[in-house]
Amino acid sequence: MANIEKRRIINRNNLSGQDYFTSILQEAYACGLFSNSDVESIQLQCIKFLASKCEKYNCGESSSIRVEIAESIMRSNLYTIGLYLKSLPDADVAAAVLKKAKIPELYQKGRELINEKLDTAKKTYKKVLENKLITLHYSYNTTLDDSGIGTFLKLYDPDYQSHESPAVIDYQLCNPVIDLAGVEYIEKYLENLFFENEFCRFFSADDIHYLLCGYNEEYQELLINIFEQVFTAALGCCFANRSVVKLDISKEEIEHLYNEFSKDDHHLLALKIQKGTGQMLEELNVTSDLFRGYVEKSLPKITSNILQAVKTNTLDKTFLVPINPDLKPKIRFISGAKMDDKDYRKIIDEMLICRYSSDKLVLINDKIKSFGDLEDILFDAELSEEEINSVFDILGDMEFAALIKRHSYISDIQAVDLSEAEQTFRRYLKNYIDHLEVDRQEKIFEIVNQLIDD
Amino acid sequence: MAFEIISISSSLTQKQAVAEIEKCNEYTINYGLTLTHLDAVELVETRDLALKGTGRIEFGGGVIEKIIKEFCISPYISKHNYAETLHELTEIFYFYKNETLDLMSDDDLIKFMKDSFDGLCQGSLELLAGRELFNMARNLRYGYAPDYLDDMSDDEGDEDGEY
Repeated sequence: MANIEKRRIINRNNLSGQDYFTSILQEAYACGLFSNSDVESIQLQCIKFLASKCEKYNCGESSSIRVEIAESIMRSNLYTIGLYLKSLPDADVAAAVLKKAKIPELYQKGRELINEKLDTAKKTYKKVLENKLITLHYSYNTTLDDSGIGTFLKLYDPDYQSHESPAVIDYQLCNPVIDLAGVEYIEKYLENLFFENEFCRFFSADDIHYLLCGYNEEYQELLINIFEQVFTAALGCCFANRSVVKLDISKEEIEHLYNEFSKDDHHLLALKIQKGTGQMLEELNVTSDLFRGYVEKSLPKITSNILQAVKTNTLDKTFLVPINPDLKPKIRFISGAKMDDKDYRKIIDEMLICRYSSDKLVLINDKIKSFGDLEDILFDAELSEEEINSVFDILGDMEFAALIKRHSYISDIQAVDLSEAEQTFRRYLKNYIDHLEVDRQEKIFEIVNQLIDD
Repeated sequence: MAFEIISISSSLTQKQAVAEIEKCNEYTINYGLTLTHLDAVELVETRDLALKGTGRIEFGGGVIEKIIKEFCISPYISKHNYAETLHELTEIFYFYKNETLDLMSDDDLIKFMKDSFDGLCQGSLELLAGRELFNMARNLRYGYAPDYLDDMSDDEGDEDGEY
């Protein structure tokens, strides 16, 4: 009998988490809990309350206010009241309270709740900073530092903009926070991030780095979720009977897993994944129910990724093979000592008065002995595209690789900070490389990837 | 069910504003200036239009009352141009509320308008809006004091050939 749920008039599925106040007003009206005069009375109270808030906002110095500011204050008021209504046992109770109580009283209660939530968010932020991962992932780091959540906690205005999130929160969670705003959003975001960090801390920072390099060596710039990759890799290790904490799985093992999984139907595979997750959590010695709850909440997404990968035969893109980029062969390129400035100026003067391109080319061939000087000449000698192409003709793959590494072509928008000469040179270089044979292009770009500039 | 702030608030405040304006007659009659009920209604309509035009909202009356009490003692206002001037002053007031980025309080702006109107502008609303308030608003936006004077305005005037 204890499981029998009380019958409710307002359907909670129709209520919005972000605009709780407005949605409850609409639902209560639609269900006949509120009459026209009830709604009008609430609206009127809200306007009067807005008037008093606007007066406070203007410090009593101005009787008028810009419409967009008034609207924002109104949204903030409604958000704050909605926060209190949300804290009541259910929507029917909330509607009854809304009908009876005065708007300023409800606002005051909501405002106290905001303070409590803000305190909780600050404490959780501190805890998240304590269990922060050591990673090169850019959006993870910026979201957690002063320019991200730190900014939110500094700039959040509970009186006039309680519904806003004044921060750039780019890092994507495995379980994204949806249908929440303001302090509620940040509180939930931090809570989820804390659990994700807790999970990732079972693994060493290096292992996570190698795993993410297996995803993409430029993973630092990508908007990926670290927890999702680590969780999936740990699950893969569990299936392959490897140590979970090392996150190390080979290509052959992934192939074997694919052969095994492709025999199972979706339902069976989903069950296997669930069982595997249980084993993995046991191996990691996870006991906290809250923590387990978060992992289980993430499971549908991970399961769907694996099912899709099995279906499309791309399991090697889901279970990642770690790569240690430091073990890849490297080529150190040393450009050599530059010539004396006086001699360099002499060559430039000579080149500028040369009538024929062939003479300039002879000068470069005879007098330029280091890569650094060659680079300078290409910029300073006011060479045409044809002349630069002639210089390119005498360069080897290594020199091209070094030039690409230093002057790689970027789009016009990204190149705004570059000088015009630099932009032109990069364009000429790209044009020349594009016209080379594909085999040679591949060879050059392979060298570019291995090159360490001095 | 949406909260249309403008429509709800303007109907609420309209009657109140008309009553407040009419009440000012008790004070301005000492200076030989009065407004009829129709004048008061029209003045509130002008205020509403000015608010709409400038993207602003006002919850209580108050501003027109302050303008009336400040300007009724001006030597440049008589019963012949009283209502008309109030209409223009109301429009100018809300326009420059925006132009000054709300950096000036209502009282200070009205005081500045009155001092300029009676002083340098000698009763000219064109000079008030087009020169004095324009310069003051620009000064505020650039972080100077409202009455800051520099050569910039002269230079601009010369270039445009306006002054």
